[in-house]
Amino acid sequence: MKVPKEVYEELKDYCLRIARRGYVTAHGGNASIKSGNLMWITRHASSLENLKPEDVIQVSLEKPSSFDVLASLETIVHRQIYLETPNLAVLHAHPPISVALSFFMDEMIPIDTEGYYVLKKVPVVEGQPGSLELAKNVAIALKSYYAVIVRAHGVFAAAKYMDIAYQYLCMVEHSAEILWLTEVLKKSGLTLHKPKKF
Amino acid sequence: MGKCLTVNLSTKTLKTLDVDKELLLSFMGGRGLGVKLLWDLVPPSTKPFSEENILVFAVGPLTSTPIPTTGRFSIVSKSPLTGGIFYSSCGGFFGFKLKNVGFDYILVEGRSSTPIYLYIDDKNFELRDASHLWGKTTKETFKILEEDLGKDFSFVCIGPAGENLVRYACVMGGYGNFAGRGGLGAVMGFKRLKAIAVKGTGKPKIADEEGLAKALKNFRDRISWNPVLDKALAYYGTSALVNVINEHRILPTKNFQLNRFEDAENISGETLKEKIFVRRRSCYNCPVGCKRMTKTGSGREGEGPEFETLASLGSMLLIGDVEAVAEINYLCNDLGLDTISFGGTVACAMELSEKGLPDARVKWGDAETVKRLVVDTAYRRGLGRWLAEGSKIFSEKFGFAEASMNVKGLELPMYHPDGVFGQALAYATSNRGACHLNAYLISVEVLGYPYLMDRFSPVNKPSIVVYMQNLAAVMDSMVVCKFLGFEFDEETFANLLTLVTGKTFTQESLITIGERIWNLERVFNFKAGLGWETDRLPSRFKVPLQPMLKEYYRVRGWKPNGYPTKNKLKSLGLNVEDEC
Ligand code: SF4
Repeated sequence: MKVPKEVYEELKDYCLRIARRGYVTAHGGNASIKSGNLMWITRHASSLENLKPEDVIQVSLEKPSSFDVLASLETIVHRQIYLETPNLAVLHAHPPISVALSFFMDEMIPIDTEGYYVLKKVPVVEGQPGSLELAKNVAIALKSYYAVIVRAHGVFAAAKYMDIAYQYLCMVEHSAEILWLTEVLKKSGLTLHKPKKF
Repeated sequence: MGKCLTVNLSTKTLKTLDVDKELLLSFMGGRGLGVKLLWDLVPPSTKPFSEENILVFAVGPLTSTPIPTTGRFSIVSKSPLTGGIFYSSCGGFFGFKLKNVGFDYILVEGRSSTPIYLYIDDKNFELRDASHLWGKTTKETFKILEEDLGKDFSFVCIGPAGENLVRYACVMGGYGNFAGRGGLGAVMGFKRLKAIAVKGTGKPKIADEEGLAKALKNFRDRISWNPVLDKALAYYGTSALVNVINEHRILPTKNFQLNRFEDAENISGETLKEKIFVRRRSCYNCPVGCKRMTKTGSGREGEGPEFETLASLGSMLLIGDVEAVAEINYLCNDLGLDTISFGGTVACAMELSEKGLPDARVKWGDAETVKRLVVDTAYRRGLGRWLAEGSKIFSEKFGFAEASMNVKGLELPMYHPDGVFGQALAYATSNRGACHLNAYLISVEVLGYPYLMDRFSPVNKPSIVVYMQNLAAVMDSMVVCKFLGFEFDEETFANLLTLVTGKTFTQESLITIGERIWNLERVFNFKAGLGWETDRLPSRFKVPLQPMLKEYYRVRGWKPNGYPTKNKLKSLGLNVEDEC
């Protein structure tokens, strides 16, 4: 089950990036890369800030394996995403502003230009962590969108390439931050000027 | 106030007695209760094979409640394998039925002159002749008793290995359930107690039924959300661990000379499922269902093998064939042998054989010879006569003690200590000898439940081992399955105990009970001759044990010689007069 060096390096790099951005707590979040009928996924309870080769687990997409027990609790969600969408990389983190906003909305429509043009909309879904219900809700949302927020929990972003999944994840949090800031500024008495063309 | 049954096999007298409330509060039940009784009634220097040794079969305050996994019971005695205090927890239904009769424990004293069995139902209890059962395998014994008494009864029994005083003979507590370790079956054999049959139809009282029902909803949900309990154990049983442990290079192979088995895939959970799996089985009220019924290509069927057996009879002996391992396992079950100790002792013989010792004629990977040796050991024939003594005595007899992988005489379980420093410390300090169930560090060093620690670091390991040992002592005393430890801790258990008993338990009070039990076991062992010098690992291993041990003694509040300080014993309410 030895993880290929390049797979480990890629996961380590992006896990460190999301940890440095404060999108995960010490042992939170997970990431995976698909390869044929299997995926490489971060280990349950591993620290994304300090990912070791032993923290990357190979899991079959087709059938359960005894290694599943070592893999992230959200393996079921990653597996469902790969089974239902053509994505090849998935990132899951808990960026605080997206999570906070999820308590107030059923979908997030970015108001910043970049977020609006790329993401269009970010649905908010529900489900118990590690459950099939959550896996299905996330996978269905990712059929139409690049990222999805799980209410009170975190964000799943998926793409064909890890760097793009990372971009989507960052965009979701950035758009959430803009939304939040504009709401705060509105409440402080400033007048909102929406761009004429969007 | 509880009730107990005391049985004197020498005088054939049976009595029911009230159980002191204070005793139950201080030692809870199960293992704790048994340990206290052993301390009170058996001088530590007593020979395990003597009339003075006792056997305690005890249930706990949670037994037979609607809480999952509460059909278990504990057996306590002085072990013929280690010479120290020994406790073993057993699944199945026996504990459930015993509690339903209304007994907290059965205390067995003395020795019968002829084979007998103990019969218990709601109204009667008596000793019955067991000459027709003597010599029978565990399966045959169960079958005869079931035919005689009916399927409503649950049984514990021993096989020929117990009758022939094999030092690691086990007690079978229902099909596929064993109090496996430490030779408690041989203590039953010495006492000529072939079996106990019990049928209880009562129900223990629950102080807060409604509160318990509410708490159980969440309890069951959490089991169903836990990937180890609900997925790995349910889907593969404990065999899920073979590949996982092998990939971490901690699968004992070739008598611990190696840490990785080339043929692990052939004895893995996946292969077991594909080739020999028949169906899942559960103990009383257990949604996990980690037990496995299997059948080999030759048409033989039975229970297991569990992970420990797949390794002790597989990788340890270089037998990379799940069917062969299963068949050796069936034989051990039928004849009543602990598979870990048997595998460890045969592995030791194989190593000696490789070194050219002429009397130990058994080659690595030779499954057919191993099958023969199971029988020879159970009946103490030929080489089996020495294998029946366990690896420590066996290796010493052949002049090569280093080949025995034991702590305090108990063969090591199937996690190579060199790759899991915390587990290594747990082996070295366990009161019953090398044991993984007294503190299952694999949970935090490999599986990440409830958190993941650096398995090669000694930092914090002594504190974690102490905490886990105390918690395990309480779990064995409540009595619940250790696998619940993958999801629950003392907070949940304290709440459940409060709801069941109506007395207030806190996290702290539970851990203190565990600590009390642990310390009393430690004192007994010291006085039985198992002092600090037995807190060691075989020289083969390269674990930095000494610094961890020093820290462990300090965390426990023990003296540098590993004996509890006066203050520690006093603070736990243990009245131990003389010092060590
Ligand atoms: S988890 Fe397994 S050993 Fe524990 S009670 Fe359930 S079936 Fe028995």
